[in-house]
Amino acid sequence: MIGIRDLQFCYPGSDFCLHIDQLSIEAGERVAVVGPSGSGKTSLLNLVAGVVLPDSGQLHVADQPISTLADSARRDFRIRHLGMVFQSFELLEYLSVLDNILLPLRIGNGLSVRDSLRARACELAAHVGISDKLRRYPGQLSQGERQRVAVSRALLLEPSLVLADEPTGNLDPLNKTLVLDLLLDYARQQGATLVTVTHDTELLSRFDRVIDFRSLNRWQGRQ
Amino acid sequence: MTGVFYLAWRYLVWHRWKTTILVLAVTLVIYLPLGLQLLVQQTAVDMTARADRSPLLLGSRGSPLELVLNSLYFSTEQPPALHYGVLDELRASGLVDAIPLYVRFSSGGLPIVGTNLDYFDFRGLRIAAGRSLVGLGEAVLGARAAQRLALEVGDSVVSSPQSVFDLAGVYPLKMSVVGVLEPAHNQDDDAIFVDVKTAWVIQGLGHGHQDLARPEAAAAILKKEGDRLVANASLVQYNEITPQNVDSFHFHGASEQHPLTAVLSVPRDDKARVLMLGRYQSDAQLQMVQPLTVIDELLSTIFAIQRYVLVAMVLVGAATAAVVLLVFLLSLRARQAEMDTMSRLGGSRLSINSLMLAEIAIVLALSGLLATLLTLATLNWGGPLLRAVVMQ
Repeated sequence: MIGIRDLQFCYPGSDFCLHIDQLSIEAGERVAVVGPSGSGKTSLLNLVAGVVLPDSGQLHVADQPISTLADSARRDFRIRHLGMVFQSFELLEYLSVLDNILLPLRIGNGLSVRDSLRARACELAAHVGISDKLRRYPGQLSQGERQRVAVSRALLLEPSLVLADEPTGNLDPLNKTLVLDLLLDYARQQGATLVTVTHDTELLSRFDRVIDFRSLNRWQGRQ
Repeated sequence: MTGVFYLAWRYLVWHRWKTTILVLAVTLVIYLPLGLQLLVQQTAVDMTARADRSPLLLGSRGSPLELVLNSLYFSTEQPPALHYGVLDELRASGLVDAIPLYVRFSSGGLPIVGTNLDYFDFRGLRIAAGRSLVGLGEAVLGARAAQRLALEVGDSVVSSPQSVFDLAGVYPLKMSVVGVLEPAHNQDDDAIFVDVKTAWVIQGLGHGHQDLARPEAAAAILKKEGDRLVANASLVQYNEITPQNVDSFHFHGASEQHPLTAVLSVPRDDKARVLMLGRYQSDAQLQMVQPLTVIDELLSTIFAIQRYVLVAMVLVGAATAAVVLLVFLLSLRARQAEMDTMSRLGGSRLSINSLMLAEIAIVLALSGLLATLLTLATLNWGGPLLRAVVMQ
């Protein structure tokens, strides 16, 4: 699903760089990425998602040379094949729960809100336990409920790859388990790949593989 | 793009107060110059049309504008009076058809126009219900006046007292409504028409009272001086003219000395018009004016002021537009995180960039709609309002 070879990426104007010799994640694999803060975990997710581009090296996602695609193609790829979950949920305060779940359909090129997708959004909401809150707004929800909305949004278009950036970072223990269960169950049932950045070592046993970023990033500092 | 408009709409609804202020500000920027221009144009057309249909006006020396506004538009400002005898002089000249006008009193805020039947013919006013004026104490109502006063044929209309605490002042006269006019869509619709003699009765120049020669009036006799009977204060004076008491109404003094506010003069031909204008050009007591010329002068002054007001409005509009633009630019900066989220989710660049444009488009559309409604309302109700203000 994800193939990286000799990838280098530096933030402009920053001393930090990322240098990965080789990384391969198979389709359907559920992987946790761990490492200290600032080690480049989020940068890796952004590279895989095509949000930022590597300076050099090869990066393939779902057999697509993601870094060589045009901006519009990368966006299209992202919205149709990737589901993204963020630590701070990143819901739009002015949209109801249902509209937040349907957001990708309103901003994606060539997508529209069809009855079948609206039904799927309601089904997802029911699955994550927020079906009675579809008309509420994010400000009226608990942290756990907000993250469940974000998970529903990520899973709406049934992505083959889910990238989750510390999805349980702001949650209480009960919601941590709940949200992680949702992501792992989805990956298991759909055969989707799940890459989750986490600091929570208690959860690592639930993944197929754990990647430690301290050994992954070969960058030695500027020469 | 419908998705983007939906998101923009939800954002504007969520921030409803900010949106309302923006819409109102833009609405005013659009409406004020447009509404003012349309209002002034419509008023100018209406006023010019009526002035154009009123060839000449004879009045006492004074402000020509006051004379025209009072005689044509029934304004509350009263020009100095002239004597009724002037009417006979005009008729005797054979150059004009002369129609008396005495616009001094009112009822329920509507002007009472003392005139004669020639006025109805000249203005092309037609009776919609009832009949025209025949006798003393009768009134014919303009269409809107009947509507506003909720009166119909057979009802009564009472003139407004002018000086409540003045015993010698103008007392209310109750008049019978004998007719209602068809709508004329001008100032005649708001008028109460009476015979000029009825207007004089309202003023107290004519009155009716008990016949002192009759036995029931015996208690009202103060003294006898030969054939003359002098009444005391208990004599019953009539405040309504009825078929029973109409014969008791009489006027004191010579009728040619009774007042008019103007004489509407319709020259037989262009030569007669020029002669009439020349005849009164150097008259010390009277003036003959051409209403169209007077109204043109008034309108040119109004248009000059309007130009300054429009320039000021355009400047204020530009400043408002700049502030609105600033609001959107600041909003764009404040919402950068939201845009980034959409971008990371895979939102198309077109959709994300269009979001703010869609919001601006919706605000402009709402403002345009509101400004259009206000402009239509102005066209319907603003004209009479402005005329009322000008007439004050």
